[in-house]
Amino acid sequence: MKTTIRQSIRTGVTFGIVHIFFILIAFNSMIAVMLAKISGIKNPGEIPEAKFYIAYTLLMGLWVGIAALNKKKSLSFGTKILSSFSTGLTVAVLAGLLDVILSVILVKKVFIRDFLSVLSFDFIKATLLGMTPVNGTLATMAFILIGALAGSCLVILNNLKAVQAFWKTLGTWTKNIIGKIQYASRGKYHLIWQLVGIVIVGFIAVFLPTKWGSYWNYVFGMVGLYVILGLGLNIIVGLSGQLVLGYIAFFAIGAYTMALLNAPEPHHLLWGFWPALVLGIILSALSGLLLGLPIMRLRGDYLAIVTLGFGEIIRILLKSDVLTSFTGGPRGIQNIQGPMLFGRPFNSEVDFVYLIIAGVILASFVYNRLQQSRTGRAWLAIREDETVARATGVDTIKYKLLALAIGAAFAGLAGAIYASRNQFTGPDEHALMASINVLSLIIVGGMGNIPGTILGAFTLKGLPEILREFANYRLLAFGALLVVMMLSRPDGLIPSSRPKYELPKETAPDVEKKEASHGK
Amino acid sequence: MENSIIQVQGVSKIFGGLTAVNNVDLEVSEGAIYSIIGPNGAGKTTLFNCISGFYIPEHGTVLFKGQPLNGRSTDTICSLGLSRTYQNIRLFSNLTAIENVMVGQHPRLQENWIDAILRDRRCKREERESVAEGYKWLEFVGLSEFANAISGSLPYGAQRRLEIARALSSKPVLLLLDEPTAGMNPQETLEMTSLIRSLRDKFNITIILIEHDMHVVMGISDQIAVLDFGNKIAEGKPAEIQKNERVIEAYLGPGGAALANKYRRKKAS
Repeated sequence: MKTTIRQSIRTGVTFGIVHIFFILIAFNSMIAVMLAKISGIKNPGEIPEAKFYIAYTLLMGLWVGIAALNKKKSLSFGTKILSSFSTGLTVAVLAGLLDVILSVILVKKVFIRDFLSVLSFDFIKATLLGMTPVNGTLATMAFILIGALAGSCLVILNNLKAVQAFWKTLGTWTKNIIGKIQYASRGKYHLIWQLVGIVIVGFIAVFLPTKWGSYWNYVFGMVGLYVILGLGLNIIVGLSGQLVLGYIAFFAIGAYTMALLNAPEPHHLLWGFWPALVLGIILSALSGLLLGLPIMRLRGDYLAIVTLGFGEIIRILLKSDVLTSFTGGPRGIQNIQGPMLFGRPFNSEVDFVYLIIAGVILASFVYNRLQQSRTGRAWLAIREDETVARATGVDTIKYKLLALAIGAAFAGLAGAIYASRNQFTGPDEHALMASINVLSLIIVGGMGNIPGTILGAFTLKGLPEILREFANYRLLAFGALLVVMMLSRPDGLIPSSRPKYELPKETAPDVEKKEASHGK
Repeated sequence: MENSIIQVQGVSKIFGGLTAVNNVDLEVSEGAIYSIIGPNGAGKTTLFNCISGFYIPEHGTVLFKGQPLNGRSTDTICSLGLSRTYQNIRLFSNLTAIENVMVGQHPRLQENWIDAILRDRRCKREERESVAEGYKWLEFVGLSEFANAISGSLPYGAQRRLEIARALSSKPVLLLLDEPTAGMNPQETLEMTSLIRSLRDKFNITIILIEHDMHVVMGISDQIAVLDFGNKIAEGKPAEIQKNERVIEAYLGPGGAALANKYRRKKAS
């Protein structure tokens, strides 16, 4: 009993310190803003209403309560409540202490922002839940305690046999459904089932963008473009194993092809979107080939450095004074025309989301087909051991060039759509950081597979966009998240698995014949 | 020789000041099992690398089915029908066993990337056939139940056999095996020996073998060449090699021949 309480108090101290730290970096504001947004308030500002701070405090308490009973399944009901109560109380006391200090700062009007920039008076007031200092402190403590008790009740409830059985049934149920879907996608009526799947996904893709509002469409579009980029780089890095760092250069070539052919300045060509798109893809692929030819003998680090140089050269060329009359120089190119489809101009984010979804589907389709083919296996062999791949009869130079060209074509596609959507492109959008972003998204998501790339793009491009409101702590939170992610899942969020090949029954006699004729 | 499949003519390979292979001639007739033996560092693997195109020899030529191989890249040599395995196993270790064997079939297939994207008739047919082929070769080396296992996680002996299956799947006429029984226990060695023999008997593949295990070498070779310090010091049938004094000296040092004779006489009497 004594040890249990001592342990609970120790957990409480840890969480108390975490709570204080969170307040000092204004993490509570961040969560409050998120909650405000979720509940439908359009512009919550930096410090939303007090009720969201109350919600944050309750959530914090809930977390404390759940964590207090972590790995304590064998205790009796009373001990569990006691243990979570003592943890909650410890955190509440520490939180109360902090609130007392904050109240003193508030009442005495001590100007502390020189040392801790977040502690503005408004923020302190909000942290005290918008009440008077004494009430606020007591309320904070009470809410944490209530939250902790509620959390422990949740854990206890979750550990009940009936609830556990429910989760288990739910698990098997989902597994069965997935199994049935998999069976259906292979079985007799697989075409029909695939069609049903496409219709469902298509339905979501068609109706969500019209409901979302332009900000989410912007974020979603950005993620989509990065999925295309990630798939392209995955062909180069994930499948054929060449570490290319200047990948964004191909994106720039696609974007500038679109821009130069479709902007009033500097050339006034106005070719229209579709021809420029095709030309952008072709030019990117060609530049991939051209880059590839001289670097075919390089491997590993050397290849990375040379391609990094290539990326920077492209960016500096676009920026240079010499080419200003041709590329628009450092100011970039404005007023790029959007596409026309069936006589209707693309004039909203929604149209572009559809276009990008189409691009993602095309890219995934091509990637998937290539991955499970002779070509894909040749790439994988090169990644595993280039010398042996060559001695096994794979023309390594041809296949490495092919990987570069196809990967670059993907980037060209994404770049062209990007330039057209933003109606602007400039050299600084294509800096090294963008290449690194694409590379890290495929590493975070899981090298060499489509779901991993999509998840990686959401994590790396979607999450910072969502967190954009909290400019100061965005990168801090994001960095911490990445570190945790790489520690807990070093192979990426969704690691690649190899496809299974089963012996087809009907071709068996065919093989016998072959065997007999072999060696003659 | 009329039916010789490969002729090595005066090949030398020099690394800096070291002559690893010095003016070696070999001639292997079709359907033979030909062993190359010699002490460590004698230049056996270097000679293999010269034949299979990994190294370009400084002097001499290698004729494969009458065509010179000098300067050709390893993928061309492979597609001509010359396949090899490695002294330290070099599988595509993150791919499955069947995928390794399917990569091995690469030079025989025609399907290209456009076929793959469109998944046209040629692509579908070749995919189906290459899976079936792959299973056939895995079956042959006794690995068909491991077809979908990651090859790097297979046991050591299985990895050796998988490497042979990969080499076989390009349907070679000449197979170079670099120490196929290294690190194996007697049972595995026995199985490997019968596997090598059946390669020749079933598929009529010519085999050149580097091997240290004398039981294996003497048991299955039709012809043996002995290398020492880069020079070929003897060539002949197993029985001849066993009696050759220079060979015994290369292995046992000067005076070794006399010692061996004494031992042999004692055994006989």
